[in-house]
Order: sequence, then structure tokens, then C-alpha cells
Amino acid sequence: MAAGAPPQLYRNFLNIYLRPNAPKAAGLLVLFGAVIGLELWLPAILGRFVDQALVGEAVPALVRTGGLFLGISFLSQITTVWQTYLATDIGLTATNRLRADLTRHCLSLDLPFHNAHTPGELIERVDGDSGVLNRFFSSFVVQLAGNAVLLVGVLVLLFTIDVRVGAALTGFAVVTIILLGRFASIGIPLWNAAKEVRAGYFGFIEERLSGTEDIRANGAVAYVLHGLARRARAYFRKSLVADVIGSSAFGLTIVLFSIGGAIALGLAAWIYLEGTITIGTAYLIVAYTQLLTRPIEGIIRELDDLQEAGASLRRVGELLALQPGLVDGKDELPPGPLEVRLDRVSFAYADATEAPDEEEPVENRRVLSDVSLDLPPGAVLGLLGRTGSGKTTITRLLTRFYDPDEGAVLLAKRLLPGLRFASLRTRIGVVTQDVQLFNASVRDNLSFFDRTISDERIREALEALELRDWVESFPEGLDTRLQSGGEGLSAGEAQLLAFARIFLKDPGLIILDEASSRLDPVTEARLERSITRLLAGRTAVIIAHRLETIRRADRIAILQDGAVLEQGDRLALLADPGSVFSRLLQTGLEQELA
Amino acid sequence: METARNPIPAWKYILALARYRLPLYLASGLLASILFYLFPLIPGLIVREVFDLLTIEGQTPAAARGPLLGLVWLLIGWGIARVIVIVMAGVAETSLHVVVNTLLQRNLLRHVLRRPGGRALPHSPGEAVARFRDDVEQVPAFLSWSIDPVGQALGIGVGVYILAQIDAGITLAVFLPLAAVVFVINLATKRIRAYRRAAQESIGSVTGLVGEIFGAVTVVKLSGAEEQVVSHLDELNEHRRAVTLRDTLFSEFLSTISYNMGNLGTGVLLLAAAGEMSAGRFTVGDFTLFVLYVQWLTFITGMFGSYLARYRQVGVSLERLLELMEGAAPMDLVAHRPLYLLGALPPLDGGGTPDGEPFESLVVKGLTYIFPETGRGVQNVSFETRAGELTVITGRIGSGKSTVVRALLGLLPAEGRLVWNGVPVNRPADFFVPPQAAYTPQVPRLFSEPLRDNILMGIEAGEGRMDRAVRSAVMEEDLKVLDDGLETVVGPRGVRLSGGQRQRVAAARMFAREPHLLVFDDLSSALDVETEGILWARLFDSPPSLSAGMDPRPAVIAVSHRRAVLQRADRIVLMEAGEVIGVGRLAELMAAHPEMRSLWEGIAL
Repeated sequence: MAAGAPPQLYRNFLNIYLRPNAPKAAGLLVLFGAVIGLELWLPAILGRFVDQALVGEAVPALVRTGGLFLGISFLSQITTVWQTYLATDIGLTATNRLRADLTRHCLSLDLPFHNAHTPGELIERVDGDSGVLNRFFSSFVVQLAGNAVLLVGVLVLLFTIDVRVGAALTGFAVVTIILLGRFASIGIPLWNAAKEVRAGYFGFIEERLSGTEDIRANGAVAYVLHGLARRARAYFRKSLVADVIGSSAFGLTIVLFSIGGAIALGLAAWIYLEGTITIGTAYLIVAYTQLLTRPIEGIIRELDDLQEAGASLRRVGELLALQPGLVDGKDELPPGPLEVRLDRVSFAYADATEAPDEEEPVENRRVLSDVSLDLPPGAVLGLLGRTGSGKTTITRLLTRFYDPDEGAVLLAKRLLPGLRFASLRTRIGVVTQDVQLFNASVRDNLSFFDRTISDERIREALEALELRDWVESFPEGLDTRLQSGGEGLSAGEAQLLAFARIFLKDPGLIILDEASSRLDPVTEARLERSITRLLAGRTAVIIAHRLETIRRADRIAILQDGAVLEQGDRLALLADPGSVFSRLLQTGLEQELA
Repeated sequence: METARNPIPAWKYILALARYRLPLYLASGLLASILFYLFPLIPGLIVREVFDLLTIEGQTPAAARGPLLGLVWLLIGWGIARVIVIVMAGVAETSLHVVVNTLLQRNLLRHVLRRPGGRALPHSPGEAVARFRDDVEQVPAFLSWSIDPVGQALGIGVGVYILAQIDAGITLAVFLPLAAVVFVINLATKRIRAYRRAAQESIGSVTGLVGEIFGAVTVVKLSGAEEQVVSHLDELNEHRRAVTLRDTLFSEFLSTISYNMGNLGTGVLLLAAAGEMSAGRFTVGDFTLFVLYVQWLTFITGMFGSYLARYRQVGVSLERLLELMEGAAPMDLVAHRPLYLLGALPPLDGGGTPDGEPFESLVVKGLTYIFPETGRGVQNVSFETRAGELTVITGRIGSGKSTVVRALLGLLPAEGRLVWNGVPVNRPADFFVPPQAAYTPQVPRLFSEPLRDNILMGIEAGEGRMDRAVRSAVMEEDLKVLDDGLETVVGPRGVRLSGGQRQRVAAARMFAREPHLLVFDDLSSALDVETEGILWARLFDSPPSLSAGMDPRPAVIAVSHRRAVLQRADRIVLMEAGEVIGVGRLAELMAAHPEMRSLWEGIAL
């Protein structure tokens, strides 16, 4: 038990996830008690029946006893169903909450965390581990308490029959629980190892399922299957070892119980031969000893569950203990266009320490060095530079996915670390070239499941982008379900939807990072009109490696290898034939027009 | 409708899987299914002997103690024998589970990868993972149960025979009503199928959403939509709770009645045996034997009931797996293939792609594909291309450019004729792979492996070929700045690289295969003009640098609206609303088609 997770963790989780369900849990406890009482009653009826029969009581009396037995067993069945239903309900309610909390928590973690964990791996953590914890929440406490009561109840009844029987079987129960409990914990590290390999196995599958076209059309199917085989081998070994240990624990149970049964039978016969008990009572001892297996098995199973749950709980606890490296601030951004300032910013990607994988840091070179930029409210900055020159990194600093190593980033004269994430990210609208869609309706994809956004507002946003007719040509309009792979939509169409997402916000700063790169010239020209409307009264940073995209910029900054090569007023740079910008404009245009 | 989709009954799949590793299956069946049901019949006989020994008229304690001790030891010996069987059964069953899981997952993945890519998955990848995980697991779980009815019949047969020898009348009186009740209840289990399917679907939609959320984590964070997606998750969770509870209530009700019939049976026994016992014709030993057997035999009957329920459930899971296999022969799901779980894993055959005959021409005639969901697509697309030529497909967004190349490559199940070197291509999906063709999608996917593996994906390539691929994709600069060069691990889906880098890696992946036909879907969207210029120049202007071993004159089909590319094109295929409105050189199309002019001028400075 201690190897699975610290006891404190169990208490915390039970407190958080079971307490809200306390009335139902109490109801469950009552039902469990009722089941136990009825179970203890039944063998006593049998014992009486045997005695009545042997002393030759009349048949009607025997039939009455039989009828009583039938009635009680019927009652006990109904109670059992009710109890299971209630337990499932409690478990699902708790794990649903846990799943939501884990998702929320993972979303609050920084990009380095997500860069180190595949979505498949997180599915296994968030969804898989909550599933394992289901039984833990649903019935663990109640079952454990219930089984303990049943165990003690049976032993007390045996003591009242004969002290020697009570003492012998109490000793037996204690030894059994200790032995099995000790043996059961051997499996924990093995289970953990098997689960880790399993998570990697399904992570592999998930990633490959997202890239079927790449694999297929480049003839790499055999390669992927080979990779799957490699991972399956590892999983086979780990799970075989874990399961063999598990079934040995079950085997030990059987041996111990047959010994217990033999002891009880021998004792009952012995005492009967002494003549102190009736044959019905001897039978009762055997029957109660049989009943003893139930709570012991139950307690062992719960300890078993506890080890599996403990492994899951430990992983979940570790995950929840991860703190985002970036601490949320308190300040709000003012309404209206935002001033943007980068003050001598330097930055290098370093794999955050929270990434548990032993992967080497791959991005620890400086991507920005000593970058200063100034953008008054409402102005438009055109950010130019080759791929890898650091443009996208600037947007990640502006949206505070990372904090700079040196220097400061300010919006509306406020340092980013002081700002609330929620305020920051609702006041910045970003469109990138990669658009992620959900397997959900067009409406939900635009509003991100925000039900407070009316269809009217969504239609207005689409209208502003001249997309309303297009969306309404879908078979079910806003209700049309999109596939997460963007099936049926081209990448360019998906990008238009990303623009519509921005129109639903009221940002004070807009960042367009290669936002129209997947659009054809005609659509792009049409979109220009909408962008003009969107940018009115807002600050904007437009990143492009195509020069024509930044014609609307007031200011220009050109990046090279993480440093600002040139910046200034666009028209002034244009007028200066010696400027990098005007040279670029000529060579660039020549390239395009040559 | 379900039966129409899956006309092959579930047992045929199970049979095929049983034959996959027959000795393992039989061992697991004998140990876990047959001995499991017979073993518990033994202690009843021992207990009966004990009680009969005690209740013999005129029995002296001294005479009884010797045989009593022997019987007690017998009981302990029985326990030890049973344990040995259980541990062996555990090993056999686990091996069988993992083997069958792996076989199914392998076959599924193989088919998903071989299916026309655009239609590979019915829902999200996360939802598909749930099927790979949970539905697959149902199958071996049932398989290892499949011999159970034999063990159950044996257990019931032997048990009832022993009881009938003692008192046939009481046996009949106890078991007839029980059998009738269990039978009637099992008729009701049909509903389980519908409930279980709904429950599994609700689980899948939760898993799917979790996967999507983390797949799109940057966008979710950027949009500040964390709370909204979590509350959407809450909705799906709640739905899951409701349908799972319904499933639980129903199946629990049935299983309680089936498994816990023992007590009811005992009650009936008391009523039936009252007269006989009172008259002394039915001993206490007989009574204890009956009580124990009634418990065990009704438990077996219950197991049989849930066997039927499980059979239906495995049918549901198989259906869901076959949905992933659509387009393939259903029995391929259980096709026997080596798994290499033990022994040596043979190395991947990455031997250089065999040289096809030299490429001369490709003719595309009447290519048509309509997306069933939206009713949009491409119709009647025709053009041809020859070795060494650049064909550019252009048009507005939504005009069907990507659809044309995906249909051509067999990634969408399209209609139309494709003729390669004068020979019709029957199965484009199997034909347009290296060495004939390779492809860079519009949004390429990388995997969390080293860069080198992402490029090679299993082909064997000396440094020469690798260098050429890197150079052709203009990646030399990128490699210099990445600390580990080609050994750099790119992170899930390549997140550690920039969009442009990802696109260049995908291009290098294509170049490394040195195919006859290179297909780019809008390569330029993530490349700056300069880099893209270098790429095209290297491809067309300095082919000697990369021609060692590569077709000296590969053909290129590219989706693009870049002016530089349009100008270079030997042929432009101009698309509008899913149809080709013109094919020709830029000058011809500019003269003949206003659409070409507006595409060209749309971005005039």
C-alpha cells in the first residue's frame, strides 16, 4: 500500500471526490450493512432446519423455516442490485469530476509539458487512470468497511458458538490477511512498469492514426507495423510478469481458504463428537467459515484494487502536483487597442525540468537576442524574416507561452507576468497557419463550445468574413459536424474558420502568423477587406514571409537569426533605397515576378 | 442494418482466433474453463462423508477421529492441487490475451494505414484509440471464455448425476424451476447489446474529446477556451454517466439473478427435502452436499447466461472494430500473421526501393470524387504529365485542388482512369507509393521520433541519399542549428519544429524515396519566398546534384498559386468549383480565362 501512494494522497482524493457524494455514500453504507445482516442470518436458518429435521419435527414447521429462508434470500438480492447501482453512480460522478479536473490542470501546464507528452499519453493519464480509479471511488471505502464488519460479525458469532472455534478462525483470518496483503504488494512496481509501456504503446498508435496519409503515400506501412511489433514485445513481457504474480496471489488465497475450511470442518466434527453442540451447530460452523471467505477475499481484492488504484493515484497525483512554470498574474488589460513593447528581450528554448522524459533539450540555442520593439496602440507591425529567424517565438512571448530569459515584454505598459492569463488571452487574437478542428459542429468549432455566444453573433462574424453563404451551403449549416482531421474542408477553408474565431472575440491585439498562407490569391484579396475591418482600432502584428501580406503595416521589423536587422516606419524604409526593406522588396518582388 | 453490415457471425472470428495459437488456446481452455468448473465439486463430497460419519447411528468418537483426520487432509490436498491449476491457467490466459490483443491491433493498424487515407477513421484519432484499446480487449476476454460451455456442461452433468444418485425427486424439484428462471432471464439479455453499445460510444466520445483537446492544446490556450472545453467535457461525461448507469442497472439485475440464484435454490431445497429428511431418508451429509452443489450449479448456470450476454457484447465490439476496417475483407481482422512477441524480431526490410521501369507518362481521365458529408468534391478531372515535367494544379480555395491529388494517389476512393506508361492502374492506393510516387501533404504529420527516422521511415539509405534528400528539401541550415542534427527528437507531432521546418522534413521524407513522381500539396505555404525559390531551383535547374540513383527526370505535380511556380509550369490545371476549366501554359490560360487572370492579379501590389 505504501508503495502505491502515500496514505495522505488517498485521504485527499477521497476528501475531494467522495465528500460531495457523502449522502449517497452513506446510503450505500446502509445498504451494505443490510446485505451483511441478511447474509449472516441465512446460515443460521439452515442450521435450525437441520436440527429441526433430525429431532423429527413436523413437516409444516420445516416448510415454514424453508419459506423464511426463501424470503430473506430474495430480499438480499434486491438490496444487492440497489447497492451496485448506487456504487456505480458514485464512482462515475467522482471520476467524471477527476477527468475534468485533470484536463483542466493539464491545460494549465506550459507548452514544454505538452511538447514532451503525446496526446495519446495524456489520454492514458486523464482517461485511463480515471477509469482505474472508478472502483476506488465507487465502492472502496464502503466495501472495505462493509467487509470488515462482515468479517468481525462472523468471528463474533463463531466465538459465541465455541471459544476454540472463534479463536482458531480469528487466528486464521489474521494470518491470511497479513500473508495476502504482503504478497499482493509485490505486484505494484510490475503493474506500474506494464502500464507505462502500455501508455507508450497507445501513444504510438494514436500518433500514427493522425498521420495515415503521410505513412500510406510514402510507403511506410511496413515500417510502422515494425515499430508496433517492437512495442508489443515489451508490453507482452511486462504484462505477463505482472499477471503471473497476480494469479499467484489468487492461488495463495485458494490454498489458505482450503486450509481454513479444513480447520473448521475438523474442529466442528471434533466438538460435535464431544457432544457439546448439535449437528446443526456443527453445520453452522462450516457454513460460517465458508462465509468468512467472502470478506477476506473482498478485503484482499480491495487491497489489490488499492495497489492498482495506488499506481494510478500516484501518477495522477504527480500530474496534479506539476505546477505551471509560468505563474498567473492579477492585472487586467484595459479595453481598446494595446500598446506593445519588447525591451531588450533574449530567449532560448530549454526543455523545462518538469518534462519527465529523458529527452535531451533540443532547443537550447538562443532564438532571440536583445530584441526591442515598440508599437503604439492601434498601429500595425509587419514582422519579416526567414523561417527560423524567431518571428513565431515573438508571438509565443507576446501570448506568454514562455517568459523571456532577459528583458521584458509589456502590453499597455504592463509587464506580462503581472497579467491574468484569462485577461491576456481574451484580449489577444491569434491566427496561425495550423488550424485545429474538433469533431463537433461548425458552431462549437467557432465558439469553442461557449454556449453564451448566440447564433446571431456567429452569423455576424461569418458575414464580416463574407463566409456566411459558404457555411450555409453546408448540409446542416452551423450544425454540420466537422471531423477533427478537417475532413471535407481544405486547409485553406479551415484557416478561414480560424479567422471567424477571432471575429467572435474583441481583441486589443491581433497576431496573424502566416495566417493567410494557405489561401489562394483571390480569397486572400477578399479576406483583406475583412481584415481591414478587423484591424480598425486594434493593434496588430502581422508575420509573413511574403511581402505583399504586410502592405498594410505602419511599421516594419526585419529579423535575422534572432536579432532585429532593421526596424522603422514602413514608408520611411520604402523611401530609403539603402534600407534592407526596400532591397528585400525588390529582390523579393523580382523573385515573385521573374 | 447491423446484420447487413456484419453478415459474418462473431463466432467465426472467434474460431479463427482460437486457431491462431491453438495449443495456447487449448491449454488455457482446459485449465481455465474445464478444470475450473469440475474442481469445486470435490469438497462437497468430502464434507458429505464427514457429516455422514458423524451422524451414523452408534458412532463412537474414538472410531470416528481417524477417518475424520484423513478427510481433513484430503481437503487441504485438494486446495493445493487447485492452486497449481490456477497459476498455470493464469499464465496461459494472459499470454492468450496479449497475443490476441496484439494480433487484432496489428491487423487494424495495417488496414487503417492501407485504407484511402482521407477516409481512414470514422471519428477522431482519440476515439479510434478507444476502439483499439477497449473494444479490442473484449475479444480475447471472450475468446478465453469460449470453451466455457463445455466445462459448464461437464460441471452441471457430473453434479446433477451425483445428486440424482442420492435423490432424483429432490434434484428434479430443485433444478427444474431454477433452469426455467435462468432461461427466461437470458432471453431478456438482448437489450444488453443496445445498452452496451450506447455506453461504449459514450466512453469513446469522451476519450476522443480528451485526445482532441490535447492535440489542439495551443489553440485552446490561445483562445482562452480552457473552461469551455472542460465544460463540454463535463457534458459528455454526464451523458456517459447516464448511459453507463442504465447499462449497469440492467446487466447487474440480470447477473444478480443468475449468480445469486443459489440462495433461492437452497430455499427450494429446504421445502423439497423437508418431508424426506424428517422421515430420515435424507441424511445430513446429503443435505450439506445438496446445499453446496445447488450454490455451485446455479453459479455455473449463471455463468452460462452471462456467456450469452458476453457473446452479444463481443459482437458489438467486433462491429465497432470492423467499422475501422471498412473496405477490407472482414475476416482480415483476424488474419493470422506473425507477431514476433518472442524470439528474435526480424529486421525491417528497408532494402532500397526496387527500380520500377523508367517513367514516361501518366494520364488522368475523368477523375471524380464527391465527399459524402458535404456533397462537394471534384468531377471529371483529366490531364496528363510526362517525365521531367512540372504540372501545377491551381484554383481558389475550395476549388478541389487537394482533392485532385489525394484522389490521384488513391488516398480518396475516387472514380476515373489512371494510365501509367500506357498501362491502366487498377489500384492507385497500392500503386502510387515509392518507387512510383511519394507525397507531401498540405499539413504534414511528423512523429515523436528522431528527425532521421521521420525522414527515412524505414527505408535504408546511405548518407549519400540522405544528403541529397536534405539538400533537395533545403534543410541544411535547419540541421546546423538543431543541436543533435538528424538525431534531434522532434516531439509529439513535430511540435519542436517550426511550421516551415516540419514542411521541409516532410519534403525530405519524399525526396529520400527518390520516386518517379513527386507530389506536393501546397508546399509553399510555410516557406518563405527565398527558401522556396532555392527548392524549386535545386529540383529543376541542378538535377545532376541529386540524380545519382534517382530518376534523372522525375515528374512533379504541385498544388500552388505562387507566381514563380506558375511561371515554371509546363502545364497548369486550372480548377474552379471542383471542375477543370482549363489546362495549358500560363500565357495560354491568362489569355483564355478570366479566373486565371484574377488568381494571378489577386495579390498585385
